[in-house]
Amino acid sequence: MSITLTDISKRFGDHLVVHGINLEVQNGELFVLLGGSGSGKSTILRMIAGLTAPDTGTIKLNDLDVTNLPPQKRNTGFVFQNYSIFRHMTVAENIEFGLRIRKAGTDEKTQRREELLDLVGLTGLGSRYSDQLSGGQRQRVALARALAYNPAVLLLDEPFGALDVKIRAQLRESLQEIQEKLNVTTILVTHDQEEAFELADRIGIIEKGNLIEVGDPEELYHRPKTEFVATFIGGGNVLVGRVRKDQIQLGPISLPFPKDAPVHQEGSPVRILIRPETILLRNSNFRLARDIKLSVQGQITERIFTGSHQRLRMEVDSLQGFWPATSGYGKQLTRIETIQPNSPTDEQFLPGQSVWLGIKKYHVLEPTRLKVLICFDPKTNENASLEFGCRLAESARGPATLLAVVGSDISMDEVKSKFEQTKSGYFSHLPNMETKARQGNVPTEIILETQEGHYEIVVLGQQGKSPGRGLSMMARQILTSINVPVLLVEASRPKIERILICTAAGEPGKMDVLVGGRIARQTGAQAMVLHIPHPESSRVALRQIERHLGQAKDTLEALGVPTEYGIKEHAHLVEGIIQEAEEGDYDLIVIGASFQPHPHQLRWMDIASQIIQRTNRPVLVVPTSF
Amino acid sequence: MNAVDVKARPGRPSGFVPISILLAMIFPLLIMPLAAIYFFAASSGFEGFIDTLRQPDVLFALRFSLLIAFATALINGVLGTFTAYVLAKYQFRGSKALSIIVNLPVAIPTVVVGTSLLLLWGPIGILGRFLDPLGIRPMFAPAGVLLAHLFVTFPYMLGAVKPVLDELEKTYEEAAYTIGASRWQTFRYVLLPALRGGLFAGTLLTFAHSLGEFGATVLVSGNLRLRTQTAPLYIFAQFEAGNIETANTVAAILATFSFLLFFLLLRFTQKGSKREQE
Repeated sequence: MSITLTDISKRFGDHLVVHGINLEVQNGELFVLLGGSGSGKSTILRMIAGLTAPDTGTIKLNDLDVTNLPPQKRNTGFVFQNYSIFRHMTVAENIEFGLRIRKAGTDEKTQRREELLDLVGLTGLGSRYSDQLSGGQRQRVALARALAYNPAVLLLDEPFGALDVKIRAQLRESLQEIQEKLNVTTILVTHDQEEAFELADRIGIIEKGNLIEVGDPEELYHRPKTEFVATFIGGGNVLVGRVRKDQIQLGPISLPFPKDAPVHQEGSPVRILIRPETILLRNSNFRLARDIKLSVQGQITERIFTGSHQRLRMEVDSLQGFWPATSGYGKQLTRIETIQPNSPTDEQFLPGQSVWLGIKKYHVLEPTRLKVLICFDPKTNENASLEFGCRLAESARGPATLLAVVGSDISMDEVKSKFEQTKSGYFSHLPNMETKARQGNVPTEIILETQEGHYEIVVLGQQGKSPGRGLSMMARQILTSINVPVLLVEASRPKIERILICTAAGEPGKMDVLVGGRIARQTGAQAMVLHIPHPESSRVALRQIERHLGQAKDTLEALGVPTEYGIKEHAHLVEGIIQEAEEGDYDLIVIGASFQPHPHQLRWMDIASQIIQRTNRPVLVVPTSF
Repeated sequence: MNAVDVKARPGRPSGFVPISILLAMIFPLLIMPLAAIYFFAASSGFEGFIDTLRQPDVLFALRFSLLIAFATALINGVLGTFTAYVLAKYQFRGSKALSIIVNLPVAIPTVVVGTSLLLLWGPIGILGRFLDPLGIRPMFAPAGVLLAHLFVTFPYMLGAVKPVLDELEKTYEEAAYTIGASRWQTFRYVLLPALRGGLFAGTLLTFAHSLGEFGATVLVSGNLRLRTQTAPLYIFAQFEAGNIETANTVAAILATFSFLLFFLLLRFTQKGSKREQE
C-alpha cells in the first residue's frame, strides 16, 4: 500500500478541519480528493507531505510510518496551485534542484533533466526563467521538478486551478499520460468534479473534514451511498419517502425496493436518487414498462439552454414524504430537474407546459442516521432543549441542525454571535452540526425547514409548551401538518440510556414503537414498552395486549435494542405513565399522538399534552397517522 | 485601437504652469545648494583641492567614515536580514510590538540617540559604570561610533528585506522542503536569491546613511581628531574654525560619494521593478 492514513484528525483552534480520515491508496493509483473549498482536502494533502502535522493518527508511505518525519525525509513530490517555481533559477535549475540537494553527479542531473523536459513537453526550454513561461508551462516545470528525484508519491494541490479551461484540459491529458507512464502513486486535490471524473482511478469525497465516500467515478455517480455525494456529483434529484410495508412510499405512490438497495427498517425514511438524464418527457402518460419505473405529471417552470442539451426544471405534486393526512399546509411540491437532448425535430418543452415524466431508473441511498432539527430561540437563554438536542445528535452520531428563527427585531449578526457562544458551549465537538438562521414567522419557518431538510425529529424547548394546554399550537402544527415527531425538552438529562415507549389499547400504530426504537438503536439505549390497560379490560383484551407488546418487543430486538415490556395496572392512564417514568428514571418518554378525526384516538393528543404538563422529562410525541 | 477611443480620451492639459512652479521651487531648495558645494570646492583650484586631501586629518576622517560605513552595512546587513526573517516567518506574542520597536530609530532624533547611548555606555552610564573599572570604555572611541551607527541605521535593512519576505509566498519554502532541502539549504538557495534586490538596496541605504551620520556621532565620539572624527564631523569642525575651503573640499568628496551610491541604488531598484513588471 503506497499511502495509508489511519484516523487522521486536525484542528485549527476551535475548528475541526479534518476528522478521523482513514484512507488507503494503492501503488500506482491516481486518487482524487474532491471537495468544496474549506472542506479540509488540502490539509490532508499537506499532512501527507509533512507540511502540516496531524493532531492524531498515523501516515504511512510505502509501509513506512512517516507521521513524525519532517517533509524533507518523506520523499514526496508536491505541486502547488501557484506553481512556486523558483524565479531566480532557470527551468533546468528548478528541475535539477532535488538532485542537487541529493548531491547527484552532473551527468546524472543533465540526463534526468532532459528526460523530464521531454516528458512534460518542454524540450528546449531549459534555459528560460519562469517569467518567460506561460502559466501552463510553469505548472509543467513544477510537475517535472516534483518528479525529478523519483518521489514515493506525487501530491498535487489544485494544480490546474489557476489556468484557463483550454490549458487545463491539455495539462490534464499530459498528467494522465505521465502518471500512467511513470506509474507513480498520485493524490490530486480538486474542487472540480469534471477533473476528478476524467483523471481519477478512484475518488474520495471530502466534506467538512470527513471522508464521506470513496469509490471509482462510475460507482460514485450511479450508486452513491449518501445524499451529499448524490447531489454533489452531477445533478441529482433526491426524493425522500418512507418505508411502508417493504415498499417505498413517496407521497401517493409506492415503489418497490430495487434488488441491490440497502436494507431499510420499516417506518424509516428512504432517500432515492433520480439522475436528471434518466427522466423521459412526453406530452402523454407513459405506460409503466420494464424501462419506465414511474410516471408522474408535472409542470415545467424553467428551461435553460445549454447547447447540445436543455435543462428543464419542473414541479410535481408532492412526491415526498408520507402523503399528509390533512393536506394543504402550503402547497407541497417537489422540484425535479431533467436534462433532455436538444433536437429541433423532437417535441418542444416550454415553461408553463404540463408534461409527463417517465423515470427510467432510481437508486436507493443508504439509510441515514437520525437527522435532528434543534430549534433555538436566540431571545431566551433557555438551554435545556439545546443541551438535550445536542446530546441526542451526538449519541446518534447523525446530522443535526441548530435553527434560529428570528423576526426583524433582531439582526443576523446578533444571531451569529449567539451561535458562536452556543457553539463553544455545546457542540464544538460535534462535526455534523450545522447552524442556520431564518427570518419570519416562527412556526412557518420551522415547518418549512423541517420539510426542506427532511428532518426526522424537531426538538423544541419552551416554544413547544403552552401553559394549561401541554402542547403549544406550534408543536401541534408541526405534528399535524407535516407528520414529524416533536421532542419537547423542559429539563435536560445527562444521558440517553433508558427510553419509555407508551402504547395503549386501540393500537396507536407502530410508529411510536418504530421511532422510539430508531432512537434507542442509534443512541444505544434500552427500551421499555409500557401499556396501561383500561381498568375494566377483559381477560381476552389483556391477552391481546400482551401479544401486541410481544410483537413490539420482537420488532425492537430485531433492531438490536434491548427491550422489556410491561403491563401496569393503574386507575388513571396518565398517572400510570408518569409513575412508571419516575420509578424507572427514564431519560425519554415516547408517546404516540393521533390527530385523525377518530373519536377513539382523538384523546391521544390530549394524553400527550397531559403527560407534558405533568413531567419535566423529555417527551417525544410521535404522530400516528401512519 | 479605433478612432472613437482616441476621441473619447480627454485632451491632455498643458503642463507649462505647474512644471514652471515646480522648477522655481526646487531650484533654490535643492539644486542650488548642491551646486554651491562644487562651486566653492572648485574656487580654490585643483591645487588647493589636492593639498587639502594630503592633510592627515582629512585622510583619516574619510577613511574612518568609509570603514565605519562598511562595518555598519555589513553588521546591520546580517542583523537586519535575520530580524526580517524572524519577524516575517514567525508569529509570537509581542511580534507586532517588536516590529514597531525595531523601526523606531528612524523616528528618534539622532541627537537623542547619542545622548541615550552616552547614558548607557558612558563612564557614568547604566552599564558603563561597571565596565569603566574593567577598562572597557566604548564611548569616545571608534566602538562607540559604530554602536551609534548600528542603532541609527538598523531599520533600513529591515525595511528593504521584510516586504520582500512578506510577499514571498510560503509555498516556495514548502516546495523546497518537500523536494528535500533543509532549512538552511532553503534559506541559502531559495530565500536568499529571492532577496537579492532587497539585500542590495538595504545595504546601500545603510551604507549611505552611515556615511552621513552626524547627530549621534558628534555626541558619542567626543569628536577626537585622528581617533573618532568622521568626515561629517571634520567638516563641521573646519567650518567652526573658519577653514571654509577645507570643509568644502571634504564636503564635495562626501557629496560625490553619496551621489554615486544613490545612482547605483536608483539603477538597481529600477532594474528590479522592471523585471517584476515583465
